[in-house]
Amino acid sequence: MSSHDCHCQPAVHDYFSQNLYTWCTNCGNYGIHAAVKRALTCANIKPDQALLCFDIGCNGNGSDKIDGYRFHGLHGRIIPFACGAAVANRRVKVLAFGGDGGTLGEGLNHLLHAVRGNYNMTFILHNNLNYGLTQGQASPTTKPGMKMNSSPDGITADPIHPMRMILGLEPSFAARTFSGDVRHMTGVLEAAFANPGFSFVEILQSCPTYNKATPHEWYQERTFDVGTLGNYDSKNLVWARELAEDLENKIALGVLYHDLDKKSFHDRLANRQGFTSELVDEVSTRSVADLLKILQ
Amino acid sequence: MSTPVYQRTVVKVAGESGQGVNSVGEIVAKSLKESGYNVFGYREYPSLIKGGYSCYQIDIADQAIKSSSAEADLLVCLSRVSVHAYLKTIRQNGQLLHILPKLEFSTEEKEILAERQIKVEYVDAGKIALGAGGTGIMANTVMIGILLHLLGLSEQVVLRVLSEEFARKPEVLAANKACVAAGREYQLESITPPVMPTVTNPALDDAYLLTGNHALALGAVAAGVRAYYAYPMTPASSILTYLASWYHQTGMLVRQVDDEISVAQMTIGSMFMGTRALCATSGGGFDLMTESVSLAAMTETPFVCILGQRPGPATGLPTWTATGDLNLAVYSGHGEYSRCVVAASDIESCYDLVQRAFNIAEKYQIPVILLTEKEIAESLFCVTKLPDAVPIERHLVETAELAQLKPSDRYKATETGVSPRWFPGTSPATFDGNGDEHLADGSLTEESEPVKVMYEKRMRKQEVLLSELPEPVLYGEKDPTLVLVGWGSVKNTVVDALPHLAQHYPDQKIAYLHYEYVYPVRTETLKKLADSGAKMVLIENNYTGQLGALLTQHTGMLFPHRILKYDGRPFFIEDVLQEVSKVIAGGTK
Repeated sequence: MSSHDCHCQPAVHDYFSQNLYTWCTNCGNYGIHAAVKRALTCANIKPDQALLCFDIGCNGNGSDKIDGYRFHGLHGRIIPFACGAAVANRRVKVLAFGGDGGTLGEGLNHLLHAVRGNYNMTFILHNNLNYGLTQGQASPTTKPGMKMNSSPDGITADPIHPMRMILGLEPSFAARTFSGDVRHMTGVLEAAFANPGFSFVEILQSCPTYNKATPHEWYQERTFDVGTLGNYDSKNLVWARELAEDLENKIALGVLYHDLDKKSFHDRLANRQGFTSELVDEVSTRSVADLLKILQ
Repeated sequence: MSTPVYQRTVVKVAGESGQGVNSVGEIVAKSLKESGYNVFGYREYPSLIKGGYSCYQIDIADQAIKSSSAEADLLVCLSRVSVHAYLKTIRQNGQLLHILPKLEFSTEEKEILAERQIKVEYVDAGKIALGAGGTGIMANTVMIGILLHLLGLSEQVVLRVLSEEFARKPEVLAANKACVAAGREYQLESITPPVMPTVTNPALDDAYLLTGNHALALGAVAAGVRAYYAYPMTPASSILTYLASWYHQTGMLVRQVDDEISVAQMTIGSMFMGTRALCATSGGGFDLMTESVSLAAMTETPFVCILGQRPGPATGLPTWTATGDLNLAVYSGHGEYSRCVVAASDIESCYDLVQRAFNIAEKYQIPVILLTEKEIAESLFCVTKLPDAVPIERHLVETAELAQLKPSDRYKATETGVSPRWFPGTSPATFDGNGDEHLADGSLTEESEPVKVMYEKRMRKQEVLLSELPEPVLYGEKDPTLVLVGWGSVKNTVVDALPHLAQHYPDQKIAYLHYEYVYPVRTETLKKLADSGAKMVLIENNYTGQLGALLTQHTGMLFPHRILKYDGRPFFIEDVLQEVSKVIAGGTK
């Protein structure tokens, strides 16, 4: 990805919070927060112009460790909350964060429908292959055979391949990045913010406490950015699907797919075309006389 | 008591799902209304698209009515199954008109027909329709013609209503008009015009025939609702239909969402961002929403949900009525928190309460649940005008003060428990709407003292709200000897029955105490009436008497007299007359 040495307003420290982090040492979340702050800053989004929505999980415990307007919702349900917030006011940038447990377990349907609706928001999947906050149970992305807290003989269900699933829905934007590379995450997130529809960003996240199988170094050795291919075309869905497949040996990172022509949520609403106001601007008493006439 | 309700004429059209019974009912109701009759339209139908039996009953009166009679003067049947289902609802000297060749009655049915001296006549409506240039399905339209002629309505009115009904299908209008004309000309052999109420009111020409869901949808528009989210579920589904059909006029974002959890979450998201968003569902859908209701309470995000009741448990009777979800509303969601539960009963209250629900939700930053019922949601009420719109009150931080806010103002512990509220993007004072227990700026805490402060702050709102809610309303006698206590659509039947009760029991002074604001519950009026020695009678459309239990919990007062109905049907006027007569006959308990 391109470098990010831009001169931005606001500054990264505007997103600073006085609250102390409560994550484990070397948790992937530190890097993710750093990248989110940088990307928001580079996209010239001030804290009071952003709404950061957090699911339940280790990521959600960071909701008060970063500035901006924030919401910390229910397990698995942050995506529809964020969709509802985003459609009400496009002047505020809406991001949502969820783990692999909440997003792909408890609330999987929400993710699929948000992609279909192409809501104007960025969703960031913290994929660390387990339930961290409840102490290391298997998640839908835990690899087969892994012995987890809740499955001493190894889990027996086949894992969900998040990117395969998302690309199957022909999203407007799908990218993958890695919690160990702040610069890469920043670039991916900034590209995600620029997409007017639903941006799906999967972050392969290390979990030093409960995921010993794929630590930081494991990802570092196996990941590569699609930009290094030289001729990669992120408009090519077939290619994206092909590249996204491998999660074991050569793991592709970067903007895997971007459909520039896909209409965003608002552009699809026939009755909202021509509106210059946002839903938050429009709350006022309205006469129902014309509607009563229809009913008479 | 078998006394028929005076000055009420009842016509019931019955058939199977898919036969257009509802359309026939609406055309007849509208024609009656435009001829100056007060009408109330009641639907019964199965949860099917084709088959089963359904009916559309129209009660016709010389004064405004909001309830149905259990018995019909004239039953018009379009299917065999519906004859057998509804024959026993024909009253003494009633009549049965049908379109079924070689219709056979059971022994029991023959006895009913003989005992009640019911006249029966067959009309080959299909043949008449074909003869008039229509199709077989237009047998319905022939029956409309026959029926409206029988009720003495002018051709002019009928044709006008028909033109409006078929405005979107001009290609079939001419044939339908011809079928109505053929029906009007048809000479019946034995069926005679039912006795109609004598007084008609020309002003009703301009009145509206609305369902409760129309009124809720109109109330939402008046309340400034800019986003409506729903997943289809009877009896709330038509709110979605109506708001969607108007969205080009209103510009409202109307969205069918993919499950009720998403519906609730999107509503909370839109409210958090700063617009007014509404959602509606029925019991099963609301069950799915309850975790989100708890979230709205914790983050002090206003939330308004319409809960359209139908009988449960589980799928229950999806297309029938009940008021079994008061407990669900009052006790929904985990944890303890302030909330408000209001219950509509008719058009006026539906329209009014949606607007007030938003004002309450925004003032106290709490969930407000608006209860309605299939009986209210889908019945057709005749109204001359809607109540005045309720001024929008949002209770937000003034624009001029936004720049001076601190993050810790958002959940500041105030005397009333209500903290300043503002929206993302409007002030440099950012905060965390945290579903975890939090400090005044939303930052997470698990410390004993601040936890207590926040808990108490949220609970204080319940007390302040209670002090501002109105007492229940007393209908009928001012110093009663017998008081019926209820909520929801029960009001409509009881209030319609009061004049009849007064006539039958001149030595009793009977009143009805109606709870529209159900929770937190006001009890002063109730206690005063009970203390005066009046006999207190609970009346509810459920098995356990849920309002009664709530009132007992808050007053210690017991309700030995209970009129409860839980068969999926609303209270018919005869139910109230019979049950009250039993209470009176039983003496003082």
